[in-house]
Amino acid sequence: MRFLYSILMVGVLSAVAEYFLPWWSMAVVCFLVALFMKWSGGKSFVMGFCGVGMLWLILALLRDVANEHILSARMASLFHLPNSALFILVTVVIGGLVGGLAAWAGALLSPRSATA
Amino acid sequence: MSGGRQDKAIKPGRWVLLVLTTVLVYLLDKPMGSLPAIGRLLDPMNGCWANAEPVNEDFSAALKLAQVHKASVWLDERLVPHIRTETEHDAYFIQGYVHAGFRLWQMDLQARAAAGRVSEVVGEKAFKFDRKQRRKGMVFAAENSLSAMESDPATKAMMDAYTEGVNYYISKLSYRNLPLEYKLMGFKPEPWTNLKIALLLKYMADDLSGKVDDLGMTFLKGIMTSEQLDRLFPAKVQGSSPVIPAGTVFEKPSLIPKQVPDKNTLFPSFTPDDFGEVREDGKGSNNWVLSGAKTASGAAILCNDPHLGLNLPSLWYEVQLQAPGLNVYGASLPGTPGVVIGFNDSVSWGFTNNYRDVKDYYLIKPVDNDKTKYWFAGKQQNFSVRVEKIGIKGKPDFLDTISYTIHGPVMYDQNFGERDGMKKMLAMCWMAYRPTNELKAIYLLNKAHNYDQFVNAIMNFQCPAQNMAYADRQGNIALWGQGQFVNKWKDQGRFVMDGSDSATLWQELIPMRENPHVLNPAQGYVASANQNVTDSTYPYPDRGGFVELRAWRINQVLSGLSKASVDDMFALQNETYSYLAANMVPGLLKYCTSVQSKYLDGLRNWDYKLSAESETATFFQVWWSYFYGEVWYPLFGGHVPNNLMPLHERTMQLFLADVHPLKGVTVEGYYAAIVSKSYRMAVDSMVRSEKQGSTQWYKIKNTTVSHLAKLPAFSFDHLKVGGWGNTVNATKRDHGPSWRMVVQMGKEIEAYGVYPGGQSGNPGSKYYADFLQHWADGKYYRLLFLPDGEKQDDKKIRWKWSIN
Repeated sequence: MRFLYSILMVGVLSAVAEYFLPWWSMAVVCFLVALFMKWSGGKSFVMGFCGVGMLWLILALLRDVANEHILSARMASLFHLPNSALFILVTVVIGGLVGGLAAWAGALLSPRSATA
Repeated sequence: MSGGRQDKAIKPGRWVLLVLTTVLVYLLDKPMGSLPAIGRLLDPMNGCWANAEPVNEDFSAALKLAQVHKASVWLDERLVPHIRTETEHDAYFIQGYVHAGFRLWQMDLQARAAAGRVSEVVGEKAFKFDRKQRRKGMVFAAENSLSAMESDPATKAMMDAYTEGVNYYISKLSYRNLPLEYKLMGFKPEPWTNLKIALLLKYMADDLSGKVDDLGMTFLKGIMTSEQLDRLFPAKVQGSSPVIPAGTVFEKPSLIPKQVPDKNTLFPSFTPDDFGEVREDGKGSNNWVLSGAKTASGAAILCNDPHLGLNLPSLWYEVQLQAPGLNVYGASLPGTPGVVIGFNDSVSWGFTNNYRDVKDYYLIKPVDNDKTKYWFAGKQQNFSVRVEKIGIKGKPDFLDTISYTIHGPVMYDQNFGERDGMKKMLAMCWMAYRPTNELKAIYLLNKAHNYDQFVNAIMNFQCPAQNMAYADRQGNIALWGQGQFVNKWKDQGRFVMDGSDSATLWQELIPMRENPHVLNPAQGYVASANQNVTDSTYPYPDRGGFVELRAWRINQVLSGLSKASVDDMFALQNETYSYLAANMVPGLLKYCTSVQSKYLDGLRNWDYKLSAESETATFFQVWWSYFYGEVWYPLFGGHVPNNLMPLHERTMQLFLADVHPLKGVTVEGYYAAIVSKSYRMAVDSMVRSEKQGSTQWYKIKNTTVSHLAKLPAFSFDHLKVGGWGNTVNATKRDHGPSWRMVVQMGKEIEAYGVYPGGQSGNPGSKYYADFLQHWADGKYYRLLFLPDGEKQDDKKIRWKWSIN
């Protein structure tokens, strides 16, 4: 449960940060959350990946559905991807990867898990 | 995980992932090569996803704008803004704001293209383009016009208000709401300026008066007699149906015709080694006006379809402007204030290109051993020098020193030629270099209420030369072959001229009121389609790069019409009947009586229409192009500079009259051999194409509307449209009718229009290309022309901006 909360926390804090700051502010959020939580490196990665990935998935889906896939279809074609869904997947994976790695890096430097 | 040495320093190895993550973030935030910054772009909060406009977007808004008074903008269902303000200043301010809101990236990029500043944002690949723009003197020309535009209080105020509106919009932008292309290309909008307005107008001037055959003609002059040259390149094609109807009486000229200077050194001569430069295809357009005597409603009808490059975001943006003394609707050019082609509550007007020659080349004779001087009128003159700094993304600036002569800038020299271009020193003389104020014409046209005001307005339109059609609610129709022209001597500017001889200099200007024009002609209509403007009675020389085929057809149709309706006008604008084919095919078939093939059967039963799905149309086009090549390539000995060849209409006439192009008489078997050879080539080519798929005309032609950054993902190809450059519906591969408009000037103005694009420049919007299919299908929208009033309740209005 606490783990789920931390994923949620990553998502919410990233949303707030990204609203005011550049996209990579979510990486700072993941890093800091992991720094203060005592999850293992692996768990922290999952936390960052899922937190940011979910945020990006939800945001992208909301926009894509309201837009009836006009933009995502054109962007997919621009990047030689077969369809909109794959473009959304790429978005989510890139966001999740950055979030996950940043959280993992945070976990590794967390004083509480220094010898993890 | 268990405790231990928490108090001790973290092992250096634990920092590695942080460093790696930081590097990853850095890489994802940085554009690489032509790849955009992926992380920044994909971020759904601020990146490309922010440009995914909801299909049911509510465009309504309440805006507080300190710079303007109370104002309203109604957006109709096609996203056309209808702007109503209390002052002219406010109208142009809001027009600028709206243009920026829907078309900012396009305006920015096109102004950069005009100024030769594309390399600054895309890097070296645009360098050659930029350098050519600089050498052509585009910025020089724009600066000259800007000084004229800013010294006129009306246009100065108009530009200042517009620029202020654009800049206000830009100042409110964050990365999140930047147009998508900025995110993809990784640059940001810079402040708008009045110079950019001038640059965009020069960009149009260059597009429309850029065609120059001087170099090719100079070469041909060296290998042909003047009789042959006149036969192949007549000043007026035989049987031309001029813009100003034949027989129209011209006023007595106020200037004395210039005598050809009595010298044989006026024109230098060139050999094939001197050149290169691929000829650009001419741009065409149609406009015509019918008087009430020819229409079913009894009201005058004006039609216009300028043929320009087909791009997205579209060249045009529809707008209505209402302010005291102003109520105008039409196509505006994003980046410039006012309405270029359209109508107001009293008059309507349309433009086609007038190819009268306003651009000439001069061979410059530099002084030996002194690069700073050239010879003119027997004296050494100093070049004036202009240093152009071309910024290139990722590279140091490039400085190009351009020498200016009394004629104009030295476009080509040993430092700058096209691939295998001109190696001699050539200066360009162009009307667009002069301090002209076309914006004043637009400003006055938008407010004109009668013919006299129309004429006063267009007296400010100097370059590019345009055929300006006019119709008003009083039932008057008119057409002017407008522009600023030089009183040339015969053949002045037909060839490259000796720039050291003062006799070749451009001299006095023809008063613009003496330009060819006609008001309410007896025939009840008048039409222009880039053909010769006048018959031989016009007192001034007016040679140019005119074409005749579309004009012949339009005149043929209009002369036969009575009780014309707007539907007849739609049909004519979309007609794909080929006048060339209708005349050529019977002639070609005469040589083929003993040959049987499905292709010839197709031609025998053909309606001469280049319909989208016709395979016969494809065969004719292929055959014609081989035929044309087989006539001219052997005679011109292969490579002619600028790929200059006689007109298709002239080729057709020589063939039908069975006249050998050079000998001027019938030569037994000459055309039979060409017909037979080109027929075999065409059949071979068709057989090859059939193996690869369909040979329907539209599939082979592949009409494409390309995104300005040439991104196929944002472009549309293989549009199902018929026609070609020589049919009234002149849709070619990447050029075509860029704005079709039909306006019936009755008691109530009934206006229709369509353009191949959409009001929004955002590829993520449903309004990005929503007119495209309608345009391809030859359909029109009824244009919503709101009456003057503070309250509007037309059911086509969907959203409203309340300002202040």
